[in-house]
Amino acid sequence: MRKLILKRVLFSFPLLLGITFITFLFIQIAPGDFLDTLRLNPQVSPQIIDLYKKKFHLDKPLIVQYFFWLKSILKLEWGYSFTYKAPVIKVISSRALNTLILSLSTIIFSWLVVFPLGILSVIYRKKFMDRVIGFFSYIWISFPTFLLAIFLLYLATFVKFLPLGGMRSLNFDQLTKWGKFFDLLRHLIIPTLVLSLGTVAYLVRILRANLLEILSSPFIKALGARGLSKRRILIHGIKNSLNPMITIFGYQLSGLLSGAALTEIICGWPGLGQVILEATRSQDLYLVMASILISGLLLIVGNLIADILLAWVDPRIRYERF
Amino acid sequence: MRYLITTIFLFFPLLLYSQPFRVPSSNYTLECGKYGGRLIIPVTGDPKSFNPILAKETSTTQITSFLFEGLTRINPQTQKVEPNLAQSSQTEDNLVWIFHLRKGVRWSDGKEFTSDDVVFTFNDLIYNPQIPTSSRDIFTIEGKKIKVEKIDKYTVKFVLPSLFAPFLEALTQEILPRHKYYSEVKRNRFSFSMGLDSSPQDIVGCGPFRLKKYLPGERVILERNPFYWKKDKCDHLLPYLDEIVFVILPNQDTILLKFLDKELDYMSLRVEDLPVLGKRQKKDNFIIYNAGVSWGSMFIVFNQNPGINPYTKKPFIPSYKRKWFRNKRFRQAISYAINRKKIIDVVFNGLAKEQFSPLSCANKLYYNPNVKKYPYDPEKAKRILKDLGFKDRDGDGILEDKEGHRLEINFFTNADNSQRVVMATLIKKDLEKIGIKINFLPLDFNNLVTKLTSTFDWEMILIGLTGGIEPYFGKNVWSYKGTLHMWNPTRKPLEKWEEEIEKIFNQSAKILDREERRKLFFRWQRIVSENLPLIYTVSPYTLYAIRDKFGNLHPTVLGGAFSQIEYIYLKR
Repeated sequence: MRKLILKRVLFSFPLLLGITFITFLFIQIAPGDFLDTLRLNPQVSPQIIDLYKKKFHLDKPLIVQYFFWLKSILKLEWGYSFTYKAPVIKVISSRALNTLILSLSTIIFSWLVVFPLGILSVIYRKKFMDRVIGFFSYIWISFPTFLLAIFLLYLATFVKFLPLGGMRSLNFDQLTKWGKFFDLLRHLIIPTLVLSLGTVAYLVRILRANLLEILSSPFIKALGARGLSKRRILIHGIKNSLNPMITIFGYQLSGLLSGAALTEIICGWPGLGQVILEATRSQDLYLVMASILISGLLLIVGNLIADILLAWVDPRIRYERF
Repeated sequence: MRYLITTIFLFFPLLLYSQPFRVPSSNYTLECGKYGGRLIIPVTGDPKSFNPILAKETSTTQITSFLFEGLTRINPQTQKVEPNLAQSSQTEDNLVWIFHLRKGVRWSDGKEFTSDDVVFTFNDLIYNPQIPTSSRDIFTIEGKKIKVEKIDKYTVKFVLPSLFAPFLEALTQEILPRHKYYSEVKRNRFSFSMGLDSSPQDIVGCGPFRLKKYLPGERVILERNPFYWKKDKCDHLLPYLDEIVFVILPNQDTILLKFLDKELDYMSLRVEDLPVLGKRQKKDNFIIYNAGVSWGSMFIVFNQNPGINPYTKKPFIPSYKRKWFRNKRFRQAISYAINRKKIIDVVFNGLAKEQFSPLSCANKLYYNPNVKKYPYDPEKAKRILKDLGFKDRDGDGILEDKEGHRLEINFFTNADNSQRVVMATLIKKDLEKIGIKINFLPLDFNNLVTKLTSTFDWEMILIGLTGGIEPYFGKNVWSYKGTLHMWNPTRKPLEKWEEEIEKIFNQSAKILDREERRKLFFRWQRIVSENLPLIYTVSPYTLYAIRDKFGNLHPTVLGGAFSQIEYIYLKR
């Protein structure tokens, strides 16, 4: 196990270097730069634009700029955001918690729902229940999230309890500790639903297919022949169908901090997604680089966690590799 | 599909004309109000900073304009300059100005406002070469600085290097407190101070409100500045409102839902919201104001650049195309061929006006109503093209010039602005009707700006610019030496009239008499409308929906929905 972790960590360095370099290259060779909005302002002179260029090292060759960035990142300096005129780390940290709250609530909610639904649709295979679950799964898989968000917000106008977007009520500061908690929870409902419905539907389909395949495999028949109860057989089946789900879970972890721009924008959730989307569009270089680096790191860590979990769940993998 | 959308849109105006909205009158007096209350305003993006010297984009200025004030201000009612932090001014030769500051004005942290702050703002901030601020460009007259000196605690002297007519307009520049930011400047940290991470106590201004709290991505809360200097006519201290909350909501549909749910007191209307909102005004306690056409402009520009690309050693655009574009008659034909009325109906639901002058007709002081106009006349456009020797020589429906080149033009606009894309599609249709082949391509905004300002590889572009009350500040566009002189970025005049415009703008800075200036700018507008370096299209109306529980509401395009915010109060 230690060998695996070490290998992964060592392998991650060239990977991150590659990711960041390619991102850097793409942002820089894309036409235009961050200063274009200033250029189109009748009241801004070229001298001011040159001053900005110097201030942000935009006048140096591309490779030199990349090494500038690399050098500072090794010192854990993330650079400045052009748009916000503040250190990148401050821009990101002011939003990271909000994004984390939303992603975690999405992950928790979706996994809490996936297993019962998946198992139900297997138990009642080809019966009414399975059909209903299947029907809704297909709807949510094909429903675009932004439309779902607007739709749910519209429905929320009829339910006084549900807030129309945002993360905290205006009187949040006056609330008690528990009041704050429930206020947050109330605001989480719609964005969580928007983000998880699609994933849930997709995961339910995967779990169902997997479980069905496992349940028809010879070892399950063997278990049945030995007279195990249906419940015990099902538990064995679920255990064996976990592997692909864990891999997906690992990928989900990598998205913890990347945010969901569209949902955030429509639900007015103050997350990282919006900031990163805007940064990419306005070519706010260092902010984009930071977000890419974070996502890259989380992808590596998420996969590592998934692999460890796999080894823990499935003895076959454990014995093969270590 | 596009036709379907077009037809659907065409029917909307019929529904709309029955929807009343209020046109605010400019004849009003401000009444005495009551204290208390909160105003909740949606904004589509976070401010980028709280620094009024560095950040000039609207997401920032719509907030900082409530926090800071200048020596003068422009009255949104009359559009004229009036004294603000400076009580009076005296000058004999219009070069040496003495300003007497208002006594007893205090910053939002309670310290007194004095001449030191004015001197600091100009000498240490605006003229500081380390600080990138566009304010410096405004206060640099023919390459020279204005000398700003303190005479005593309440008197400041400004010495101008030469006559500068829009001087008092320029003095609306926000003043910053020396006691708060001097040490930041000394440590060369000012470019990053007053950022979004600063605590509310560190944002100190003279405005009617001060920062209370900022939650990134959620809201900005301003509270009443208890030290604000202005009083109403009943001798009560302003402002009346306790709080202004800016709720950050990037999506317009969410704003609409929240407005209808009475969570917001205001929204800026898109034309497509009017059918929904128009009939709900009485029931949901709000009023829709039509504040008139906006200050900005949207226009088509042709590339007339005679330059040679230094990398490929080829001209930026083929010389035969340049010959078309440089012909004034050709540009006039294009202007005649554009059906502006249809654009108004389809894109703006009838809520826009045709524009032919480079100035918006919202400009009460300088707008010239008698410029050359180009009403929709495709036959006339065809005639002009025929006179110029364009003819369909091979019978494919597309004109060719005398040398046999097909009249085919690449047409760009920025893709992020959906209204502009629909406009461009309509214009393409109009031009195809008179036999011009248009290859229309919406581009990414940054890509478009790069083409316009540095690579110059474009032929025809539909784009917009923001405008203001003082035409002189558009000099960067109109002077052939300017950086936004997009049709000819060579810094050399191509035509006589470019030199004439240059002369007009230089003169306008020196002539102080308002009537004389008006004549100058009238002439400039006529020259532009005759020669059409920029072919103007339409200017849309600005619509605001505001809850009817507020008093002293007098929206204007210049001051926005809440012009004179300090007087706005909550009726009970």
